[in-house]
This record gives sequence, C-alpha cells and structure tokens, in this order.
Amino acid sequence: MAITQEERLAPEGASLLKRKVIEKGDTMYKIVSKSVTEYHFTVPFNLNDEERVEVGQIFSIKDQGLTFLARVLNIEHSSNYDGHWDTTIKGTNFFDSDQIFNRVIAEPLGCINKSLEFKKSRTLPTKFAPVLRAEKQEFKFLSQVMGDIEIGHLRNGSRLVEEIPVALHSEAMDHHMGVFATTGMGKSNFMKVFAASCMRLAVRGESKFGLLIVDPHGEYLKGKGLIKGLTHLKKYRDGLACYSTSKQNASDPGVEELAIGIKDIEPSDVELYFDWSIAQKDALDVIPRIFNRDWLTEIQTPEGMAQLLKENVIEGTAGKISQRIKNLLSKNGYIDNIRTSIPNILANLQDGKVVLVDIPKMSDRSELFLLSILSRCILDTYKEEGKPERKNCLITIEEAQRVLGAGSNTARFESIAREGRKFGVGLCAITQQPKLIDKQLLSQFNTLVVMGLGDRNDRIQLEESAKQDLSSMDTEIQTLEKGEAVVSTLKIPFPVPARIHRYEDYLRCLDKEDKQESLIIRGGFKPFLD
Amino acid sequence: MEEDSRLSLVAEMIRDHISLDGIDRYLAETGVQSCDFVPVQPREFSGEIFAVDGSNASICNWSTANVNLIRAGYAVYQGRVWRRTVITFDDVFLADPKQCKNMFDPFLLEFFGLNGVDLKESDLDRLSSYYRELQEYVAINDALAVAQPGDIILYDGSFDVFELLRGALTTIFARAEQKSVALLAVAKSSSLFWGEEISMPFVQHTSMAGSLLLPEAAWYLSLKDKKVDAGQGRWNGQTYIVRFCGQSEHAFRVDAPSFLQDEMASVLGKLAAYSCSSECLGYPHALFRAHRDIRITEEEGAAVRQKLMGELLEMGMPHSEIRMLMQDFHDILEMKSGF
Repeated sequence: MAITQEERLAPEGASLLKRKVIEKGDTMYKIVSKSVTEYHFTVPFNLNDEERVEVGQIFSIKDQGLTFLARVLNIEHSSNYDGHWDTTIKGTNFFDSDQIFNRVIAEPLGCINKSLEFKKSRTLPTKFAPVLRAEKQEFKFLSQVMGDIEIGHLRNGSRLVEEIPVALHSEAMDHHMGVFATTGMGKSNFMKVFAASCMRLAVRGESKFGLLIVDPHGEYLKGKGLIKGLTHLKKYRDGLACYSTSKQNASDPGVEELAIGIKDIEPSDVELYFDWSIAQKDALDVIPRIFNRDWLTEIQTPEGMAQLLKENVIEGTAGKISQRIKNLLSKNGYIDNIRTSIPNILANLQDGKVVLVDIPKMSDRSELFLLSILSRCILDTYKEEGKPERKNCLITIEEAQRVLGAGSNTARFESIAREGRKFGVGLCAITQQPKLIDKQLLSQFNTLVVMGLGDRNDRIQLEESAKQDLSSMDTEIQTLEKGEAVVSTLKIPFPVPARIHRYEDYLRCLDKEDKQESLIIRGGFKPFLD
Repeated sequence: MEEDSRLSLVAEMIRDHISLDGIDRYLAETGVQSCDFVPVQPREFSGEIFAVDGSNASICNWSTANVNLIRAGYAVYQGRVWRRTVITFDDVFLADPKQCKNMFDPFLLEFFGLNGVDLKESDLDRLSSYYRELQEYVAINDALAVAQPGDIILYDGSFDVFELLRGALTTIFARAEQKSVALLAVAKSSSLFWGEEISMPFVQHTSMAGSLLLPEAAWYLSLKDKKVDAGQGRWNGQTYIVRFCGQSEHAFRVDAPSFLQDEMASVLGKLAAYSCSSECLGYPHALFRAHRDIRITEEEGAAVRQKLMGELLEMGMPHSEIRMLMQDFHDILEMKSGF
C-alpha cells in the first residue's frame, strides 16, 4: 500500500482535515521478514500455473550492490487478516488481493557482489526489498564453478535453465560419489549420462579417471528395446572398453569375453561367495600360507587336501572347502586357467577410459565375488607407484547397501571408502536405500546425486551424513520427479537442483557435436536437448 | 462457579423464552408479517461504495480526564476492487468536560455550520464516543464531497444517535439527498428487542424468521409500523433488518434517511452483490475493509502511550509521577505493566 498526504480530494475550506490516503501499491514479491537464516516474502495467492511458485525454486533479491539468492523451502497460505475463513469454502471469492497472499519461506543460499563473486551471506536483504525469479543472469556464476563431467541442466523449480549445465568435477571423484533414488527415478539413466561424459573426456584426452561399471542387469552395454546403451555412443566409442560374460555379447567387435585368471583369485574373494563357519574361515586363512597362487587347482588334489589336514584342518572342513570351490569354478565360467582380462581392465582404467563389465543373468553372489576381485586388484595396483600419467579410478557398485551396509561382511569395499582416496581410487555407490549404508562410510562421500527418496529415514540418513546441508531440502527431495536431482558436491557452493539429461537425447547431441571442438568454458558446452 | 444450578436456570430461560419454537409468536407480538420480508436481488453496479468507520483506544485514563487515540476515515470500493482508504482524523483526544469544548466546536462549525454543543454534563467515556462519532461524521462529509450521484455511503453504526450530534446528521442527510448519494448505517450489534415478559433479541429472531420464510436468499424487512422501538421519530429516517447474503446466517440493522425509502430495494440489491466475499461473508465488504484499515490495534495504542511517556520524561516529569499517571491498575493485576 502506498500512503500519501493528499489534498486534491479535500472539500473546499476543509482546513481542519489532515487526510491521509492509502492507495493500492505493489505489495507482492517483497521481503517481509525474517532473519539471516530464513527469508519470507509474499507472492499473490492467485498466480496462474506458469507463474506459480514451487518448492526448490530459486529467487533473487536485488538490494543495492548485492544480489541475494534464496531457495524456496515452503509456501504457506497467509494474509494480513488473521481470521480462519480460509478453512471453509464460502462466499464467491476473495476480494482483497492486496491483503491475501502466499508467504514463501526461503533458505538463503548466498549473495553475489558486483564482481560476480558468490559468497555465503552474513547479512539479510532490506525489508521490502523486491524479489524476482532468478534467471540465467543470476546463475552465471555457477558456470564458473561447474566441473567437466556434464550430467544435466540447472533446474529452477520445474523450469530448466538450459544455459547453465550442471557438471561434476573429475577431481572430486576419488572423494567418492553416491547416487540415491528409489526405483524408476532414473539411476541407470544418470549412470549412462555420467559414463557418456566420461567417454567423451577420455577420447578428447581430458579424462582424469577411469570408470569401472559392473552391470549385472545387462542394460548398459546395448540397452534394452528403445533404451540405448553405451555402445550406441559411436563418436566416443574409443573411450569405452567392454568385457562380457555373455558369449553372444562378446561376439561383437569391441567387446572382449571376460576372463578372470584362476590365479587372480584369493581366498578372501571366495569368502564373499559362501557363508562360512568359523572353522571354515580359519581354514581359508591358512591357505595363503601353504599354497601358491594356483591354490584353487591345488586344493582340489589329494596332495592339497593332505596339506590342509597337516595344518590341523579337520577332514570334514577341508572336504567342504574343496567341494565349494568346485561349485564356484563350475558356476563361474569366466574363471579361466590360462587367460585373464584383469591386466587389460587395469590398463584401460589407468588410461582414463570407461570399463564396462557386462555380466547379464549373473547371481547376486557371483556379481559381488567378481566385483570383489576387480576392486582388490585395482586397489592393490593403485597402491603401487604408477606412471605419472596414470588416471585415478572410480568403482561403481550397484545396490551398494549390500557391501557398505552396517554389519555387512565386506571389509574390502569399506577400506576403499575409507582409504581409497589416498591412492586415487573412489567408489560410486548406487542404492535405493541409503538408510542401510553405514553412516560413517556415507560421510566419506563428497558428491551426492539425490534423485527422489520417499522414505523419510533414507533422507535423514543423507542429511546427517552430507557435507553440505541438505536438511532444508527435505520437501524438495521428497517431491523430485523422474530425472530430477539435487546434486551436492565439492567446489559447487550449494546443493544444485538439476534435471539429468535423458540419455538418448544426450547421445544424439553428442553424436552431432564436433569432436575436435574444445569446451568454450570448462563444463559449459551447449545444452543437448533438441 | 461453585454450582451449576444458576447456569442451568439461565439455560432453561434461554430455551423457554429466547429459543424460538416456530415464528408464530414472533410474528404475532412484533406485528411483522410473512409478506414483510422482501427478497433482495443482487445487482452489480459500476459506482463506488464508501464505507465509513472509526476507532478509539485509551492511551491513559485517570478519574477526571483521559486521553484517547481516535481515528476515522473510509474505504472506497468499486465493485470488488479496493480503490483507496482515506484517513480523515488520526489524533489524540483529551477527554475533559471542562476543556474539550474547543476540540468539538471548530469541527461542528466548519463542517456542519453548528455553533457548538454543551458537554459539561457528559461523562468521560461518552465524551470520547461523541468525539469519535463527530469525526466519523466528518469522514462521511468528506466521502459525500467526492461521491458521485448513485454512489453508496455506508456508515458503521446507527443513525439513532446522541441528541447532541443530531444536528450534524441532519446536515449530512440533506447533503446526501442533494447529491443523490445513498447513505445507510449498518449496525453489527443492535439493542432492538421484542416481547413483553422478557426482552427478546429482535435482529436475531428476525434473521431466524427470514431463514424460514426466504431460505438461501438475501432479504430486507422494514420496521415501519412494527412493535419495535428503533428510535422512529427521533431522526428523519427508517430502520430495516437486512440479510445481505443468502449463504450467511447474519442479518443486520440498517438505518436509512427517509429520502431513500423508495429506493431501498435497488440500493440493497447493489450492496448484496458485494456482500459475499470469502473474507467476510454476509457483510458489505467495504465495511469489512474499513474496519480493518481504520481500527487502532493494541500495538498502535501501546506505541502512542510510549511516545506520550517519552514526551513527559523530556519535559522533566519524574518517572514515578508518570507511572502513577499512566498506569492502569488493571494492567498491574494482569501483570502487563509495560513500565
């Protein structure tokens, strides 16, 4: 409301009148309260669909030389009238649109100064400072802090900001990454987009890490139906090395049949495959001392059995171990007496390529067994001093709660989570249930891609472990739609709302891209959606 | 309460005497007939509706005089759209029968051509009410000055006013008639009653009767020739009971100058079209807004009180004296001294 001391309407001779006229002013989109940690502003209650304010939307508040940014946390019905009439349907409509409004509660993200530097805000905008939807201009500073692995576009509420790509930093990948979403929210799509960006960097010679993906569902190699796979990215196919346990898939040029040398397997790998009694575990502990690298073959011979018995392993235990190993070898046909793919896999990873290990129809245990062997080999290799040009490595684990859960008997992955960073090895944990992942391990993850979690306990687990404060984004995470994500990572000053590229669209645009074209600005090549 | 027996007695009395079992007795004793309830057809119009209201808040109160903050003004609507609110008076008033004549007389003379009133016999509360009413009349006068023929001016209250100020009202009626502006007073509460053995609430019972006779409709009822004392003859006009909106249960006393007698259906139809807001269903919305914009809130009263205390301190009055002067012992009892 605008207040003026007005004379124009005063009757003649009305000298005693001191009229004050209150006329309709601009009462909406203004900061009305409340503190450095929470802003409240007003918006009309009757906005049309296009103008509606949404949770997660980012608004800007220009106040003298500063532009404050704030993310919407909640929207409430409110008014200058404190009645309770809005709880019942009555009357024809509201009359006083200047008095009835929605109160938007927003979380300050920080402020941008005249030099376009973004800083956390230690002050608050002046009361009644005007509020606007943040547009590309206000988000420009984000382009400067984005990384090199493009995954999507910035999202402001439901609206895309196509000029601002969201890209992760390669440098942050050995600090581990978590991808969290319930079924159908786009985890696989995200991973394919992520892998495609990594392939692109590898071909351009810009890759800083190799990415290992073990795919038990057989969806990353060739896709399924209309869903494309990584091999469809023809232009950057050289950035991908594929291994498959499927003879049919391996018959394709560019896909090698996976072989794990029998000598590459250690007793600790076998521990994962079966549930062992204490006596059996003790017997497995003895093996490295009495057998050489060919222990899987030797233990099945009468001499091998005799050696076990000599070490006070009772006959029944030794027999059980021998029988289980026979089972293991017969069920995992990729274990080979002569050939092994591991050196090649390691070489490709060290070259910064994407290594896809395609293991369709493989059982849960077999998958973990294989992943365990590969992870151990990777960590052991990276623990040794390598060539200066060696790239770091990121190991992807699907259904990561199986190996990173509290009480899960898989110390190998835990040790990568805890100390892998020292040797340039990171984990990319993918799970629908972050609540099952050990909280201490989760706190080692410095990049989180959260794609919609309905379970409150999952969200709490992430909020309590995340490096950036996600607690205020609870409602937004709950309401994320398929393909939408909140990305929290090092070097980007606040959790960023993103829409992940649809892999098939991204693929089309990457294929059209000029292969030699260099990035205009880091992490900022143009949008991919048609 | 130690026992519920008296409460039960009162409840029985309400049931027997105030709760209506049908409307026959009401019709018989008030002289109201079913056909006296006239339906009102809501009708949009493009003119302006002015709603005049006033407010007062006690700033300090001692036995021989007191200080009030008084505010008066009006809100203006065109259809459903609020155009402006004009505050015509917003100041403190020292209510002292021996001193305050000079606060009344200039207004009475300047706006209504009256020579002043004798206030010596008036008690303090009444003095503040007189002054607030006077300022409300000044607001009506101001609204009349800017209103166009066909516009409506609503006043929050009744025209059956204290005798001292009837002269001002007479002038206002004359100006309204001359300018062809409809002027109505709408009272939120009314002391109108009927019944011989016990005083029965007339407006409420009329509302119930109207609901039975004209359900879901807006209507009005003239009190002309009815057995209800609405001050007929004390002022130049007629009293009505009006339900502005069929969805609402509330009816209001409405006073109108006699020159509007033949236009009531039309004027009330225009008001009915704008008495159905979700903010305040059943009440002319302009009056609702005037009430909201013109009221003096508790915080405003407290702020003026603090300001007055500051002035007194600056003038050298000791704090103890100010406290003695300004503090209401009720506030001490309620443990909200503010000192």
